[in-house]
Amino acid sequence: MSAPMEEEEGLAGAVLKELQQVAEKFKDEDEEDAFISPYAHLEKSAVLQEARIFHDSVSVRENPRKCCTVIAQLLHLQNTGQFLSSTEATEVFFGVTKLFMSDDASLRRMVYLFIKEVAETCNPDDVIIVTSSLTKDMTCDVDLYRANALRVLARIIDSAMLGAIERYVKQAVVDSSGQVSSAALVSSIHLFDNAAENAVVVKRWIGEVQEATASPNQMVQFHAMQLLYKIKSNDRLGVSKLVQQFSTRNSLKSPLALVCLIRYASKLLHDEVAEGRLGDGYQTGSSICTIGYSFLESSLKHKSEMVIYEAARGICSLPQAQAQDINPAITVLQMFLSSPKPATRFGAMKILASISNSQPRLVAKCNEDLEALLSDPNRSIATLAITTLLKTGSENSIDRLLKQISAFLTDIADEYKITVVKSLQRLCFTYPNKHRILVGFMSNFLREEGGFEFKKTIVNSIVTLIKAVPETAESSLLHLCEFIEDCEFTMLSTQILHLLGEMGPTTSAPARYIRFIYNRVMLENSAVRAAAIASLAKFAASCPSLRASILTLLKRGMEDEDDETRDRTTLLISVLEDAMEKNPYVAPSEDEIDPENLPKDEPVAGDSAAYVLLDGMPVSFDKLRRSLEMYQNTPGAMDTADSLTFSSLPVVEDVPEETTSTHEMDDLGLGEIPSNEPIKEKVDPAAAVYAIPELASLGRAFRSSTAVPLTESETEYVVTCIKHIFESHIVLQFTVQNTIDDQRLENVTVMLEGGEDLYEITGEIPAESIKYGETANTFTVLQRNDDVPIEANAFASTLHFNVVQVDPASGEDESDAFEEEYPLEDLEISTADYMAKVSVPDFRKAWEGIGNDNEVLEKYALSFKSVEDAVTAVINLLGMQSCDGTGSVKANTGKPHMLHMSGIFIGGKAVYARAQLAMQGDSGVVLKIAVRSEDENIPRMVADCIR
Amino acid sequence: MAFTSVIPPLLPKVDAILVLDGEGNRLAGKYYGDFLTSTTSSSSRAAMSTGDDSKPASANVTVEDLRASFERQLQAKIQGIAARSDAAEVVTVMGKTAVFCGGMAMGASPSGVGGDVRVVHVGPNTESELLLAYLCEGMYDALSNLMGGQTDRNMVLDNLELVFLLIDEHCDGGVILEVDGAKLSSSVLLRDDEDMVADAGAGESAPQGAAPSTTGMRGMGNGFGMQGGDISIAQAFRQAKQQLIAGLQADGM
Repeated sequence: MSAPMEEEEGLAGAVLKELQQVAEKFKDEDEEDAFISPYAHLEKSAVLQEARIFHDSVSVRENPRKCCTVIAQLLHLQNTGQFLSSTEATEVFFGVTKLFMSDDASLRRMVYLFIKEVAETCNPDDVIIVTSSLTKDMTCDVDLYRANALRVLARIIDSAMLGAIERYVKQAVVDSSGQVSSAALVSSIHLFDNAAENAVVVKRWIGEVQEATASPNQMVQFHAMQLLYKIKSNDRLGVSKLVQQFSTRNSLKSPLALVCLIRYASKLLHDEVAEGRLGDGYQTGSSICTIGYSFLESSLKHKSEMVIYEAARGICSLPQAQAQDINPAITVLQMFLSSPKPATRFGAMKILASISNSQPRLVAKCNEDLEALLSDPNRSIATLAITTLLKTGSENSIDRLLKQISAFLTDIADEYKITVVKSLQRLCFTYPNKHRILVGFMSNFLREEGGFEFKKTIVNSIVTLIKAVPETAESSLLHLCEFIEDCEFTMLSTQILHLLGEMGPTTSAPARYIRFIYNRVMLENSAVRAAAIASLAKFAASCPSLRASILTLLKRGMEDEDDETRDRTTLLISVLEDAMEKNPYVAPSEDEIDPENLPKDEPVAGDSAAYVLLDGMPVSFDKLRRSLEMYQNTPGAMDTADSLTFSSLPVVEDVPEETTSTHEMDDLGLGEIPSNEPIKEKVDPAAAVYAIPELASLGRAFRSSTAVPLTESETEYVVTCIKHIFESHIVLQFTVQNTIDDQRLENVTVMLEGGEDLYEITGEIPAESIKYGETANTFTVLQRNDDVPIEANAFASTLHFNVVQVDPASGEDESDAFEEEYPLEDLEISTADYMAKVSVPDFRKAWEGIGNDNEVLEKYALSFKSVEDAVTAVINLLGMQSCDGTGSVKANTGKPHMLHMSGIFIGGKAVYARAQLAMQGDSGVVLKIAVRSEDENIPRMVADCIR
Repeated sequence: MAFTSVIPPLLPKVDAILVLDGEGNRLAGKYYGDFLTSTTSSSSRAAMSTGDDSKPASANVTVEDLRASFERQLQAKIQGIAARSDAAEVVTVMGKTAVFCGGMAMGASPSGVGGDVRVVHVGPNTESELLLAYLCEGMYDALSNLMGGQTDRNMVLDNLELVFLLIDEHCDGGVILEVDGAKLSSSVLLRDDEDMVADAGAGESAPQGAAPSTTGMRGMGNGFGMQGGDISIAQAFRQAKQQLIAGLQADGM
């Protein structure tokens, strides 16, 4: 009975005491009107005023609490964006240094914190003054002081001072207190990163660090592990020993340290594989690989989820891993999928999603768990589950999946929907048979609520599918037509109208699209109206049967209030009326119609409307602009009186488009990082030649090759060569870099030998002087013998120059010039160098237009392992541009691949080539190639390129 | 192989640690390295020059803007999601993985434990979510310890210096220093681990903690304004107020 009484009394006492405090507090705050947090509504100037208290030694001693609050207020200012200027910071900083006088522990702790926060803003010379106070703290016997002083010191110290305190830090690394030891290790990690000189010092402590890995304190193990790896990271052997040692000894207890070790192990495995030392697999191959892999695999059985996850991720990211290597990891990840922790589910899902990109079959066994995740409250997880399922699911399960998705899609944010739509698009590529249901599914979402990005993604997906799977075209176009009936986004409407104009006329019933398009003319804003008129124009031009009715519709557009729309309408009407007068449309009479064989509804040859409205420009605007710029840059071009025509303009080559590889982030559906790289301005490579007055007489360069290296990239003199092809000359531009610091090169030229039949060296422009680290150009001019057919030639080339020894420090000459030679790799001038990669808008038309008068047919047996390799090689050998997307090979169709190529040969002659490639046996490709050109000699020269 | 982007950073590092209130305002926080500045164009920087005289300050203003916009996007994603202290939630913001604990709606938990404040750890998207969650749960644990179980906006604001110290003890320049919640809170309160064990026993009988400490550390600890238990004046005041309100509400029913 008495015990509870006592307890109650104690409690009552405590409550009383508390209430007294509260009352006191109230009294204090009554003056300030209400309870206000010391951090609310802080003004920088007021706090700075308060900070003067630091200079008052009495109040520092008597009222350390007040000083703490002021420091915290200063930190809070920093934190809310009211930064101190450099002068203010320095002033406060000096005040804070006075606080070292106080022995109050919590104040000291705040002082440490403040110095770290402000050290970056202050002048480093000012900061140095606290070093002595800190060093004193570092050597005292209070662990808290030592640990914190160490951490602060590491921020402000330079290498000279580091030498002075090295002894203490080294001791601290192996200190019995975990706090001190950790602080020393972490500070060393920072020091190691800060400056190379510091890193040298830290490396000397490797013995102590090694000892610290055996500490009973887990955090110390973790920090020691990180530092040890940092010290050894450049030493391959050291790292592999580190991994072997710790993975077999099993001495690490800290899960964080193990996570690190797993990362080091998988990095090591990556490096081993990259160097080609995998042997025959992770479980039976070279010893390092087996040790590394078995460590990862055994870590899958660790008790900490974090470690298991790291091991699973390590295994799944192994290059060239086989199914049996990855399977154990997938099994644990599958268990993670039903974890109560969102982070665990998310992590596991992320790995599985990335594996499903390359090896969907391995992930398929998790399908049931994935379906359960569709209802996960964390939407990122659910989205990842969907996209993964769409990759791993079989064709049969698509319908069921779609049903589940449609329920899911209605209540997630747009960015997740976008990810799902992209996966649907990929799925449609995999199973083209399912296109009807998939496209239908996507177009359902077009009609639902959604932002611009989401709608745009769907439209783009549908358009991509129309191009990739032609069967989808007609139904997709109708879906899109319905969409623009009620579309609030002008950009999408115009895009779709343009697409309709392109695709609509070739469908089985073009007339049914007219109504949709004409509705736009009546109901939309001016941009859409103009687009709709342009679209109608395409229909009218391609289908003479529709012209009369379209003309009627168009007449109403003459009244349009928008200039652009009215202009387009007027132009269209006049073109159409003109064409109809010349070639009136005659409908096939009833009895002549054979339902099996309907006559094609297409314009007659030479139809003026078709010519005006359907034929595009011979070159794109972008190319035309570049071409004109090149023309302007050519010496003398602006002075001639010749009129400018398309044929007299310089040839602009197609630049290979940088393939925008689907980013990994995309697949994970985790938001994208917008990359706004500036568009590279294309510089005319021949500008360097035009700048040389002696070469101006050569005229305009037909084309310039890319830079060909003639040396390894790390030799004494690095030489590359650009071949500029002129009408009857070749200018070789050698770019020479001098990488020897005690030499200057003078009078540098490149001597060539070989190819005497075809070429004659007619000139040289040496580089006068190349200092260390500089690059300069030397030119060699070859004249081509027009009578000899062009063929590949190899030139033995040597660099000739005079060397002057210089003192690298002062740059003064130390010797007289003496002659020197330096052998370069052979330079090759092939037929392909004379070929400009230029695509044609319509290959078939061009091919048939040029006729087979000069056709050359050849058949070759090439030794390539795949058709893809052969296609790439043929394109490179000929130096031509692949057309109609035939440059990429569709996977495993079994049929021979048709490759269409076009180009312009020196002299402005168009060249077209058609090649058929087929596998023969395991390592042979049969190539049949036909080359046509307007010139009789060129096809032979081109066909001979194949070797 | 396509997996290269999955390779985690070799040294586990966090990009930022944030303590946000229910509306997403940053109460305290620390960004490590320059992950926000490296992804932005310099044009915004030029546009943002303030009348401030010193160069670093004007550069900082833009950094602050970037952080604010990052935090806005973060808040948009985590709004309304509450994460238990032992099961951190994950979202992805601007290509970064953000893991957080906390965010209980006000008055949602009857016990008065928890609060609207969230502890957010931001890491590169290749960093292990589990690792970040481990860190976040550790720090959140320490924060609730320090705040007497009440991690709401006002409580945290009133004890901001503890929060600053907590972040500093938890992470040093992006390198994890300590994760264990109990160890973290005891080092913020300037107590040795051994002391803490003794404290747990002694706390009941001597709540005033008036006995002069032998270690010197304890004595200084008191100077911090901490009374024997874990409760500061401000905390006591808050709790008393809340109990009062709860009592009144109960009466009114």
